[in-house]
Order: sequence, then structure tokens, then C-alpha cells
Amino acid sequence: MPEHTTTFAAQSLTKTFGSLRAVDDLSMAVESGEIYGLVGPSGAGKTTLIRMLSGLTVPTEGIARLLGARMPSERRTIEHRFGYMPQERAVYRDLTVAENLLFFGRIYAMPRRRIVERTKELLSLMRLDGHGRQRADRLSGGEKQRLSLACALLHEPDALLLDEPTIGLDPALRREFWNHFHELNGRGRTILLSTHYLHEAEWCGRVGLIQRGRLIAEGTPEALRADAASRSGVPNPDMEEVFLILTGSTVAGGVS
Amino acid sequence: MSVSRILAVAERVLRQLRHDKRVLVFMLLLPAIAMLLFGYSFSGDITDVRVAFVDEDRTELTESILESLQEDAAFEVTVLDAVDDPEKLLLDEGYQAVVRIPAKFTSLYYAHFAMGVATSAQGAIDLTLDESDPQIANTVKMGLADAAMDLGEGGPVEIETRELYGVEVRFIDGFAPAIMGLVVALISTVLTLLSIVREKVDGTFSRIWVSPVRRAEFILGYVIAFGLVSLIQSLVVLTVGISVFHILINGAIAWAFVCVILFAVGSVGLGTLLSALAQTESQAIIFFPLVIVPSVLLSGMMWPIQAIPRLLRPLSYLVPLTYSNRLLRAVMVKGLAPWQEPIGFAGVLVFVLLTILLASSVLRQSAGERE
Repeated sequence: MPEHTTTFAAQSLTKTFGSLRAVDDLSMAVESGEIYGLVGPSGAGKTTLIRMLSGLTVPTEGIARLLGARMPSERRTIEHRFGYMPQERAVYRDLTVAENLLFFGRIYAMPRRRIVERTKELLSLMRLDGHGRQRADRLSGGEKQRLSLACALLHEPDALLLDEPTIGLDPALRREFWNHFHELNGRGRTILLSTHYLHEAEWCGRVGLIQRGRLIAEGTPEALRADAASRSGVPNPDMEEVFLILTGSTVAGGVS
Repeated sequence: MSVSRILAVAERVLRQLRHDKRVLVFMLLLPAIAMLLFGYSFSGDITDVRVAFVDEDRTELTESILESLQEDAAFEVTVLDAVDDPEKLLLDEGYQAVVRIPAKFTSLYYAHFAMGVATSAQGAIDLTLDESDPQIANTVKMGLADAAMDLGEGGPVEIETRELYGVEVRFIDGFAPAIMGLVVALISTVLTLLSIVREKVDGTFSRIWVSPVRRAEFILGYVIAFGLVSLIQSLVVLTVGISVFHILINGAIAWAFVCVILFAVGSVGLGTLLSALAQTESQAIIFFPLVIVPSVLLSGMMWPIQAIPRLLRPLSYLVPLTYSNRLLRAVMVKGLAPWQEPIGFAGVLVFVLLTILLASSVLRQSAGERE
């Protein structure tokens, strides 16, 4: 894969559901090798944006591109090369952990032997060793989420679209997930993820703040902090403060 | 224990129900539909059995036999001039019985009683009967006996009955093919429906649609799975049927399996179609009786379609199991090839094509309106 190509791109993307503009004329781009976080409150349009980029939702207007392919019309050309983790803990609850991975490996045409190898790798990476023969509905919430991430990683995709991958996890587990993300990123994977935990923005290479379907600020965490500090006069704002200041939700100095 | 907490819970549950229109409508409609269908179906007499009447004698006596048959609501009598091969009429024209009165029947009849001699030749009515549905066969036998009794001359009329398939068919023999179809339809429809709705609820559906899996592949996967399941179910029904009830298998059993699997494919399609109407598992469960009740009541499984009131009969032809029953009975009891029962065969084929084609467009919608 050539370097410095655009992995995810939104060009004036709009999606309306009835009178609701879930995503409103939004443009952004994630370059190869980045780890980019879409940060914003629930209902801000993060999931809709991710679903448009994955080809699951058809944009009302604008263009969504994934690895250069227009989504959804050209998705066939790149569908092997990206992994998607939906917001629900999307695993088959009546299959075992290993059976889930086997199914997702097989629909990506992986040879059985490779699936077995990868299953072993991922189970130990996700600290699920020994759970291979356990039914998914017997797993705890955190375990199920790790299995869900493993399903997205199984076929070794270049690009990862992760929708709220850390939602509902306890802080320790959330850290662990982020360690995985950085490790994957270090091995050349491009990651676009969403989170409504504002402080997780700190751990992204670049952050896009989303509110009411619009991208209201974008940049490295440091740049966003500097911007917020200069606008509000609050020294060293944390990410929650940054969000409040940049979205204009609060007047300067009103941040506690 | 707090009454107000209990009432609060009850109120909450009622509010939840009120918010789900599908549940609400169904809760009200199902009891009514079931009551109507059961009530009508069980009280119904058999009517409109198609009988061909061939009178080669044409006398007052034979006229009166025809009249009393025509007056009997059980029969829909067609008068034919002549018949070469009564069995052909049954097989090709869809008659359930052919009544033939041979020439000289009347004179032989009177001569017999005038002479009062038991040994003298007596004319006999020639009845050719499709006995594959025992209830219909009995209706015809009894109706014809009644018609012959009404002659008023006091003498018994001899009826010579020839059975089309040459065997006495019992209720259970015709019931087994119906059970096979019913079980296969229920399991395939209901499990497909539930499984696809679960995919939607759990979000695995979106994983499928971003993967290289195509809609047709998805449906075919279900078809193969339930094709196999239906084969096993049919084997179980046959094993129990043969070993416990000694059911009659006249035909090539391989054809029966082909037909059952075909029916299972259509049922998978139906389940997929219904999955588009349900967003949650509890909504999906609502559809179960919708599949079960008409199949049991209207398909000719428990009683012949002729026993269903005329007004309801068109509904029978909207129930897929009606065609499966015709087809499987033809194949298993009558020993025919599937295409020799054109209505049943065509019905099942149309069911398969229609549901599978519609199902694939429905999946497109469920997939999140992509493309």
C-alpha cells in the first residue's frame, strides 16, 4: 500500500432521515497510517458517518470514499481490505467464541489453517485464551466486546472502522483497548474510530469534534487544546473543556 | 409488597404494548381470526366434490339418480356424454369420482325385481373413485348409495366400485404427507425469521453486509441449511409413519424428498420476507401463529378443502401448504411424478420463486438501504 494516501474521505457528506440532518455537509479525510478519533456526544452523527464510510448507509448528498473506492457503489473492490466493528457487540450469541471467528474468517475466504492460527493469536491478544469453546452469550460484556474487536481484526485489514469500540468498558479495559489500537497503528493499520468519552481524544493522532452532524473542529489533541486555551483564556484545558469551549456550549471562564 | 409498585409495573407493560402497533393489532385480530376459522372449519360439511356423471342408459330411472346427486350439496356434478377411460378423467380432469350407468341398466334392474330371482343378472352402477382422500371417497360412496336408495322401487342397486390406486387409503396415509409439509414449513419459516431478526438486533447483519457476502449467498446459505434440516425432518416423519402407523407409500420416495426440500426453500424465502416486518424478536414471534393457524386449518391437512365453507375456500389457495399437500399426496399416496399433479407442483414452484425473489429485495432494505 503506497504511503500518504487517503484511507477515509468524506466530501460534503450529508445524510438526512426525514427532517433530521444526521450528518450535515461534512468533509474530512484520514490519511494512511493515522489514528483518527471522531469525538462528540451521542446522537452527534458519528455512527451515521461511519456507516456511510463503510458503505452500509447511502449518503443523501456528497461522496464517501474508503481506500479510494466510492462507497457503496465501488465497495466490492476494497471489501477485503477493511474491518468494521459496529456499535452493538455484534457477535453470534449462540455460537462459541471460536465458531464466531471461524465464520467471519470463512466469509473473508481465509484458509481454515490460517483462521485457526489467527484465532489463537487474537484470543491471546484479547486475553480470551481458554474461552474459545464458550458460547458468546456466556461472555461478560467486556469479553464480548473483545471478541467483537477480534472479529473485525481477523482478516488483517489495512483500514479499521470502529464505532464506539470502548463504550461501556471499565477504565482499565478501555486503556487496554487503546493499547491494542496503538499497537495496530504501529503495524501500519489506519484507524478511524468514534467515541463519546471526550478524554479518549487525547489518545488519538488527530481528532474531529462532531456536533449536530457537523465537524466543528479538527486537529491534533495539542492543537485543539492550544486553540481552546487561546479562545477562552482557560490555561491547559482538558478535553472536556476543549469540547465545551470549541462548541461554544459555554462562555469563557464558565468552565469548572 | 406494594400495590402501587405492582400497578406501576402493570401500567408500564401496558404502555409498552400500546407503543407497539404490530403487537396491538395482532393481539386483537388473532383471537377473532382463530375463532372464525376454527368455528367454520369444524362445522363445515363436505361440498363441491367434482363428480362426472355418464349416463349411457338415459331412462327415467337414471334421470332420477342424476337428480338426486345434483340435489346433494356435496357434489358438483358434470354430465358427460360418454367416457372411454374413467381413470383418465380422474387423473387429467381433476374429477374425484366418475359415475357411469351402463346401457340396459334400467331394464336389467326392473327385470331383476320383476322376476324376483336372485340369480338373474342385475345391472350395476359403475363407480370409479379417487380414494387418495379417504373423507372424500366416503362422501362419494355414501352420496351415491343415497341417490340409488331414493329410487323408491325398494330394490337395492348394485354399485361396482373401482378404486383408482387399487388400495384402501386411510386418513393417516393422507395425513403423513401433510404433517411432513407442515413441520418443514414451520421450522424453516420460523427459524429463518428468528435468525435474521436476531442478526438485525445483534448487529451481525452489518458485519455481513460490509463483508464479501452477497445477498444471494446469504439466502442460499439459509436454503441449504434448512434444506438439510427438512430432509431429516421428513425422514423422521416417514420413519414414525411407517413403523408406527404403517402408512402407505405408493410412490418413489425420492420424489417426496425432492418436493419437501423444494417446499423448505420456499419456506426459507417466506421467513426472510417476514423478517423485514419485524425489528425485534418479540415482533418476530408474533408471526408464528400467522404461519401455523392457516396452514393447519385451510390447507386440506385435517379435512378436505371441500369441507371448508365456499366463502373461505379462496383463502385455502393462498396457503402454501395447500399446494404442498396436493403435491406430496400425489407423490406419496398416488405414486405420481410431481408434474402429474400440475396444480400442486406449479403452486409450490411459484411459492419458491416468488418468496426467494422478493426475499432478496427485502434483504436489500434490511441491509440498511444500501445500493
